[in-house]
Amino acid sequence: MVQGSRRSRTLRRVHKRTPGGKTKLRFKRRNPSSAKCSKCGATLPGVPRKLPLKMKNLPKTKKRPTRPYGGNLCSKCARILLIEKARSENK
Amino acid sequence: MKIGQLCVKIAGRDAGKKCLVISAVEKGNLVLIDGETRRKKCNVAHLEPLKQSFSVKDNASHKDIVDLFKKELKITLKEKKSKPKKERPKKARKQKVKPEPKKPKKEKKAKAKTEPKPKKETVKKAAKPAAKKSE
Repeated sequence: MVQGSRRSRTLRRVHKRTPGGKTKLRFKRRNPSSAKCSKCGATLPGVPRKLPLKMKNLPKTKKRPTRPYGGNLCSKCARILLIEKARSENK
Repeated sequence: MKIGQLCVKIAGRDAGKKCLVISAVEKGNLVLIDGETRRKKCNVAHLEPLKQSFSVKDNASHKDIVDLFKKELKITLKEKKSKPKKERPKKARKQKVKPEPKKPKKEKKAKAKTEPKPKKETVKKAAKPAAKKSE
């Protein structure tokens, strides 16, 4: 009988080939959803979709773009924000 | 974009930092900028001009701009302290050393064959005469 928690689709199914030549079914966690711009909701291409376990081991430069607001705002929204700031300083 | 125009960079890693236009590069919309940002060529579309502008020499040195930022804008720029370049130790090729010719081995003196020692002859003890039988 299958374990009850394994019957739901929260975990993804991965077929793995064992050293003996058989294929076994493994249950693994799904990758998290892609990071979104907090202003417009666009996906942030510079942020990888990986489990926290793997994100922990990544270097900082590979986790988000190095520009200000990188990893939070998309490039367009960040640019708009910076222009607004500059123009408010002009007044 | 005029030379000496104060701008804010709005794209890239230096975004949000102030800079001065130092010179216009011939090709297209490129200008040379320096200030809080790195000294580099920049597209005009990536700059937001501010009100202020200063009289700066064409292609002014980084030191002049550091002074100008300090005097006019009261912004102290961090200067990079580049380490003096050290010469890498060059690897000297290993020269093959020819092996010295081997000295001919001295012939061992043949030991004079000593005559084998004569074995000690063991003298068998004469068997004890049997006890005289009582007559």
